[in-house]
Amino acid sequence: MMNDVLMNLLYCLGQAVILLLLAPLVSGIVKKLKAFMQNRIGSSIFQEYYDIYKWWRKPTMLTPNTSIIFVAAPCVYFITTLAAASMLPNFIGGKANFGDVFVFVYLFALGRFFMAVSSMDAATAFGGMGGSREVYIAAFVEPVIMLGILSNALHTGSTSLTGMTLNPNEVNLTVASVLTGIAFFLVMLAENARIPVDNPDTHLELTMVHECMTLEYSGRLLSLIHWASQLKLLVFLLIFSLLYLPLNLPLAVKVLLGAAGVAVMETLNNKMRLFKVRIYLAAAGIMMLLAVVAR
Amino acid sequence: MDMFFAAVLCYSIGILTLFAPHQRQIMAHYVANLAAVMGSGLVFFNAWSILASDIPVRAVKWGSYVLTCDGWSAAFLMLTGLAGIIASIYALGYAESYEGKRLRMLNGLWNLFICSMVLVLLAGDALSFLLFWEIMAVASFLLVNHEAEKRTTWNAAYQYLVMTSIGTAAIMIAFFLTATHSASFTFAAMANNTLEGGWLHAVFAAAFIGFALKAGFVPLHVWLPNAHPAAPSHVSALMSGVMLKIALYGFGRFMFDFLPEWNYWWAVIVMVIGLLSAFLGVLYAQMEVDIKRVLAYSSVENMGIIFAAFGCGMLLKVVTDSNWCQIGFLAALLHAFNHSIMKVLMFMSAGSIMHGTGSKNLELFGGLANKMPYTAIFTFIGAMGLAALPLTNGFVGEWMVLQSFITLGHNGLTQDVRLWTALAFVLMGLTGALALGCFVRYFGITFLGAARSKLVERAHESDTFMLAAMGMSSALVLICGIFPGYVIYLLCNALHMSDYMVLGVGGRLIWSGSGTFVTYNPILVAVVLGIIGVVVLYFVVGQKICIPKDVTWNCGTYPTARQQYSATGFSKPVRRAFDYLLKPKRERTYTQNDHSYFGRKLFYKLEIPDMITEKLYQPFNKYFVSASAFLRRLQQGSVRLYVSYVMVAMVIVLIWGAMYK
Repeated sequence: MMNDVLMNLLYCLGQAVILLLLAPLVSGIVKKLKAFMQNRIGSSIFQEYYDIYKWWRKPTMLTPNTSIIFVAAPCVYFITTLAAASMLPNFIGGKANFGDVFVFVYLFALGRFFMAVSSMDAATAFGGMGGSREVYIAAFVEPVIMLGILSNALHTGSTSLTGMTLNPNEVNLTVASVLTGIAFFLVMLAENARIPVDNPDTHLELTMVHECMTLEYSGRLLSLIHWASQLKLLVFLLIFSLLYLPLNLPLAVKVLLGAAGVAVMETLNNKMRLFKVRIYLAAAGIMMLLAVVAR
Repeated sequence: MDMFFAAVLCYSIGILTLFAPHQRQIMAHYVANLAAVMGSGLVFFNAWSILASDIPVRAVKWGSYVLTCDGWSAAFLMLTGLAGIIASIYALGYAESYEGKRLRMLNGLWNLFICSMVLVLLAGDALSFLLFWEIMAVASFLLVNHEAEKRTTWNAAYQYLVMTSIGTAAIMIAFFLTATHSASFTFAAMANNTLEGGWLHAVFAAAFIGFALKAGFVPLHVWLPNAHPAAPSHVSALMSGVMLKIALYGFGRFMFDFLPEWNYWWAVIVMVIGLLSAFLGVLYAQMEVDIKRVLAYSSVENMGIIFAAFGCGMLLKVVTDSNWCQIGFLAALLHAFNHSIMKVLMFMSAGSIMHGTGSKNLELFGGLANKMPYTAIFTFIGAMGLAALPLTNGFVGEWMVLQSFITLGHNGLTQDVRLWTALAFVLMGLTGALALGCFVRYFGITFLGAARSKLVERAHESDTFMLAAMGMSSALVLICGIFPGYVIYLLCNALHMSDYMVLGVGGRLIWSGSGTFVTYNPILVAVVLGIIGVVVLYFVVGQKICIPKDVTWNCGTYPTARQQYSATGFSKPVRRAFDYLLKPKRERTYTQNDHSYFGRKLFYKLEIPDMITEKLYQPFNKYFVSASAFLRRLQQGSVRLYVSYVMVAMVIVLIWGAMYK
C-alpha cells in the first residue's frame, strides 16, 4: 500500500520534471512559428533555455521595502505549477491520485494568489497595476473554466482528470465537443497571458498584465517565474489536447497543433483593450453554456 | 446534559461580574472572560463527545419547556464552543482596552450572548427557542451598540434591532403555524404535524424569510455590513462566525423535522438566492475600504455558499430521491464549521490591526507586516482560507460544494436541473475568483508595500492573549485543511450518514456521486508541494542576493507611498466591469491653479451606495413615513377628540351586537 503510493508519487513527479524540461522548447516553437508567419527569422527554438540559464546565474536584486512574500511568491508559483503538471493523466504509467480537476484549478489559483499579493510588495505603481488587472481577468476566466469542467464532467461522468480525458476511439465531432474545444482555446489564451488578452513580450505599462507583476524580479526568481509560465502554457496545451480537442491524433501532434494555434492567434490579433476582455471571455462563456445544453 | 448546565453556570458567573465594583473592573474582566473560556470549553467537549460516541442525549423537561440535543444541534454546539473559546481568549487581551468604557457591561453581555446562543441550540420546544432567540438578539444588539457615542454605531445598532425583530416575527409565524397543526409546542410533537396544502408553503416562506434575514441573504442583508463592523471586534467575530450559522441551524431544523416533504421550487429558491447572495456579497466586499465591512460582506458571501449547498442537497433529494443528497448537507455543514473558524480569525486580526493603528481604513495602511509580523502571518493564512486555496480548510468545503453541484448536474437528467447546475457553476466560478481578488487586496494593501500614513509608523504588535487566539485559529485553518478526516467524520455522525461515502483510507476525501470515484487527498497534496518546495528552496537559498540601499526604480521619479496602488484603485477594473450592478457615484472637481503645466489640483470622491438599500429600502421607508404622517392626523392630542373616538367605537359595537343577537 505504502509502496504503491510512493511509486505513484515518483511517476507523477517524474512526469512533472519531464514536462518542465520540455516546456521552454514548446514556448520556443511558438515563438519560432510566430516569427515565421511574420516573415522574420526569429531566434532559435532553444533560446528560452539560454534565457533561463542566463537569469539563473545572475544575482537577485531585492528592493529594500520587500518582505518574505516577495521571495516566496515565485517559488510558490513554480511549485504549484509543477504540482499541477504532475496531476495530468500520466503518460509514463502511474496514477495521480491526490486530486481531481478542482484541485488542479485551485492549485493555479494558489500560485496566482501569491503572485498577485507579491505585486504590491515593492511599493510601486506598476506592481499594483499588474495585480489588479490579473485578478480582474481571473474573475472572468474562472466561470468559463468552471463551465468547461461541467461540460466535460457531464459527458464523462467524472471530475478526475484521467476520467475526463477523451477516449481516442470515441472521439467525434459533435456540437458540444467542438464548442467546448473552441471556448477552452480562447480561455487558455487568457489564462496564459497571451495575445489578445495580454502580451508576454512587452514591458509597456499600458499593455501589460502579467509582466507588470514580474517587473521587480531578477536573477533566479525571475527565471523561476518564466519557467513556471512556460510550464503552465504546456500544461494547458496538454489539457486542451487531452480533454477538449476532439481529434484522433497522437498526443504530441495535438500539442503542436495547439501551439501552432496560439502562434496563429498571436499573429492575426492585436492585444485588445483591457475592458474588452470581458466581452471576449463572455463569448467563450456563452459557447461553453451552449455546449453544456447540447451535451 | 449536565455538562451543558455546568457551562451555563460558568456563563452565569461571567454575567454576574456585571455587579463587580468599579475599582475591581480589571479583575472582573479576567474572571468574566475566563468563565466564558471555561463555559465554551465545556460546551465544545460535551458536543464533541456526543458526536464522537453518537449516544442519544436525555432531554430535560421543565413544565412545557424542553432542553435537548441531537446530532444536528451538537454539530452547531461544537462550532459555538470552539469559536467561543478562541474569541474569549482573544477578549482577555482585546477587551481590556475598553477599561473605563463600560468594560463590565461588555463582559457581562459577552457571556450572556454566548450563553443565549448555546441555549438556542439546546432548545427542544418552540417557546424556549423563541425566548433564547430573542435574548440572543437583544444581547447582540446591546453589544453592537456598545460604542453608542458614535452616531454610525447607534444607527447601525437600531437598524439591526428593527431588522432582527422583523426576522423574529417571521420565525414566530412559522413556529406558531406549525404548532397549531400539532399536539404541542415541543419539537418532537411538531415533527408529527398535520400541515398540508398551502400551509406548507406558508410555513416555508415564513421560516425562510426569518432565517435568511438572520443569515444576511441578499436582499435582506442590509443590516449586516453595518452592524457587524460597529461591534467590538471579538463580538463581530462571534456574530459573523457563529450567530449567522445559527440561522442555518434553525432553517435545517424546519427542513429536516417539520417540513420533510420538500417542494421542487423551495429547493431552487434556496439554492439560487444563496448563489446570488454569494456573488453580490463578494462583489461588494471587493469595493469596501473599511476592513471590517470587507469581512462582513465576505460573510454574506459565505452564508450564500452554505445555503446554496444546502439547497443543492434539497434539490438532489427532490429530483433523484437518492442518498447522494447527503453531500449537499454535509458540504453546507462543513463549510459552516470551516467558515466559522476562518471568520473568527479574520475579525480578530482586523481587531488587532485596529488596536495597533487606531484605524480601520484600508487606504491608510501599507507595510504593516514590518510592525505586526505575527498578525501578518495569521492574517495571510486566514486570507488564503477565505480565498478557498488548497491546504486550507476553506478549500475542503469548497471542493465538497463543487462536488455536490456536479452530482446534481449528473443525476438530475432534465434540462431545467442542468440549467440550475450551469448557473451554479458560473456563479461559483465568479465568486471564487472575486474572493481571491478581494483577499489579495485586503492583505496586500494592509501589510505590504510602503506605509500610506503615519498611523502605520506608530503601530504596535498585539499582546500575547490576542496572538495566542489568532495563532490557535490559524493553526486550525491549516490542520482542518490538511487533515479534514476527523471533522468530516464528526459531521457525518451529526447528519446520521455513514462516512464511507466521503472518506477513504488515510484521510482522503472520496466521492462517487457523479459516476466514477474522485478524490482529494490533502495530505498527499501537501507532501507533493513539500517535496518540490524543498528542492526549489535549496536553489533559491543558494543564490546570491543583493539588497541595495536605494529605493525601487520608478521611471526616474522618487517613489512616494502615494504612488502605490490604493485599495480603491486596485478594485477599479472590477468596479468598471460590473458598473451596471454597482452604480458607483463619482464626483471629480478640478481646480485651476496658476501654473498651467504642473498638475491641477483634483478632488475625487467615490461612493458606492448599496443598490438594494437604495432601490428597495429607501422607497419603502419613504412610503412608510408618509403613511405614518397621514395616520398621525388621528392623534391630535385633544381630549374631546379621543372621547368622541370612544363614543363612535361604542356605537359601532352596539350596532354590531344588535345585529348578531
